[in-house]
Amino acid sequence: MAEGVVFDLRYKPHDGPRLGRSGARRALIKDGLRKVLGLRRRARRKVLPAILMSIAVMPALFFTAFAVVAGDFDVSETIFGHADYFDLNGSMALIFIALASSELLIPDRVHGTMSVYASRPLTTPDYVAGRAGALAIVVVAFLWIPHLVLLFGRAWVSDQGFGSYVFDHAELLWQTMLISFIYFVAYTSIAFLVAAFSKRTAVAAGVFIGIVTLSGATDALVQAGYDVFGLGAVLDHPGYVKDWILGSNGQNWIPARAGMEPVMSLAVIIVLAVVAGLIVNGRYRRAA
Amino acid sequence: MTDAPILSISDLRFAYGDIVAIDGVSCEVPAGRIGLVGANGAGKTTLLKLLLGVLLPADGRIQVLGHDMPRHTLDVRSRVGWMPEGDCLPPDQTAADFLGYAAELGGLPVRAARQRASDVLGLVGLHEERFRYMGGFSTGMKQRAKLAQAIVHDPELVLLDEPTAGLDPEGRTEMLDLVRRLDEFGINAIISSHVLTDIESTCDWVVMLDGGKVLRSNPLTSLSTPDVAEVEIIGDPQAVASAARRAGATVEVDDATLLISAPGGDPFSIARDAVLDAGAAFRRLGAKRTTLEDVFMEGGDTDG
Repeated sequence: MAEGVVFDLRYKPHDGPRLGRSGARRALIKDGLRKVLGLRRRARRKVLPAILMSIAVMPALFFTAFAVVAGDFDVSETIFGHADYFDLNGSMALIFIALASSELLIPDRVHGTMSVYASRPLTTPDYVAGRAGALAIVVVAFLWIPHLVLLFGRAWVSDQGFGSYVFDHAELLWQTMLISFIYFVAYTSIAFLVAAFSKRTAVAAGVFIGIVTLSGATDALVQAGYDVFGLGAVLDHPGYVKDWILGSNGQNWIPARAGMEPVMSLAVIIVLAVVAGLIVNGRYRRAA
Repeated sequence: MTDAPILSISDLRFAYGDIVAIDGVSCEVPAGRIGLVGANGAGKTTLLKLLLGVLLPADGRIQVLGHDMPRHTLDVRSRVGWMPEGDCLPPDQTAADFLGYAAELGGLPVRAARQRASDVLGLVGLHEERFRYMGGFSTGMKQRAKLAQAIVHDPELVLLDEPTAGLDPEGRTEMLDLVRRLDEFGINAIISSHVLTDIESTCDWVVMLDGGKVLRSNPLTSLSTPDVAEVEIIGDPQAVASAARRAGATVEVDDATLLISAPGGDPFSIARDAVLDAGAAFRRLGAKRTTLEDVFMEGGDTDG
């Protein structure tokens, strides 16, 4: 009978490659994706992202299925065109960004995990960009995938034939992707700013949704003749830019009523993102 | 480990606004286990943060593992681990997941990171707990997980900030055993603590800070003074002291304990003869051992 042997493997130094800063950045984005989607977290963390994702894609799937069964998919007869779909999904994205931003930023600061990042080959801008990058991937996919379903669904039942339809409407691919990114930037900059100064995730999500929703109150000031308050209509800026890019004019956005050009709304979104990035960066540098 | 100093600091200054935290610190420390001692507020954690590049010095020069800081911060961070004094563990992640992530953040490829996470959790005694969420860990388990995250990417140097904080005596002993084993792993360590006995039992070199200044930076072996005999006797201490003085020794008496020094002579022979002459007996005889606490209370100036 063979005797049992205990192998003391002792400490084994790592003698393989070291990926340095690029490896650390990749790890940061991967961890961000897991946090946003609740992967490798407790089951309750997975529920909300799954529900919101499902709700986002459901109408597109429904209309596509309906059109396949009915054999027709006339854009003019469907309720949801691409512009309308953004109006629906924009609200969904707002809730998703509220929850995901606070989940991405607050626990690292509150639980002291920033000190782990401070001892790795990463800078604070790497951290902020990594967190934003992870959220961008999910939010842009969240907003964009239903448009792909709509586009390819229409192509499927089109009299033109699938390839011909997609080729004729190819500009929708980049337009909807760009708009998805603009929605992400417009909302995430404010959500990150709120999360950077909050200690509780639920409070941060609530405050962010409150700020964005209450920005609709600027309408009253604009109507009273104070057009400059149109700049504060953060809820409406991405929608206004969206209609500009898609060439639609479905809604009367507050910035439009304030006499602003869509490019001004785009500028507001960019300036807000830069300012928020700088403030969040400063806040997290001190948190390490 | 090499003979090159792991840390070289000259005239380092740092202040939080008007409060000077590091005031002209200069020292050079060799490879091994280095104790960084001082009272609360002495500047220990600030110094560790300066070594990591988390804080930027107002003045002075820092070299960590041969790299100038803060110019080569990211190079240094690739080779250094940090166990902070406060919490750093996300409660909703398992130890295995977090350590794998911490290793990847240190630059290790995914597969190597997972393997290292498993190995290091075994080394710190958390292998059985690796799939538990860290929010449910005891204080001792958290301290071990914090040490594990600091060494999981196989650094050359690890900075441990109060590694025994909050631990019960058993946990403290286990943690100090782990810290001593870092030598065996080939990892240099700078251990910050205000518990002087912890430093005495784990380190080969000590840097003593007080009010942002270095009181002392020396090997711990220099604390023992072999030219002074410390004698505890059974009998009349004054009679023994008189006999020793007659033999040319200098004697300090404290109850039944005598410190006998003999410039140019052997204090141990003099102690033996004095005890015989006085008709007393030895309870204990040895070289005088100065504790870190003695040095600290005397303001670090004991090298003599």
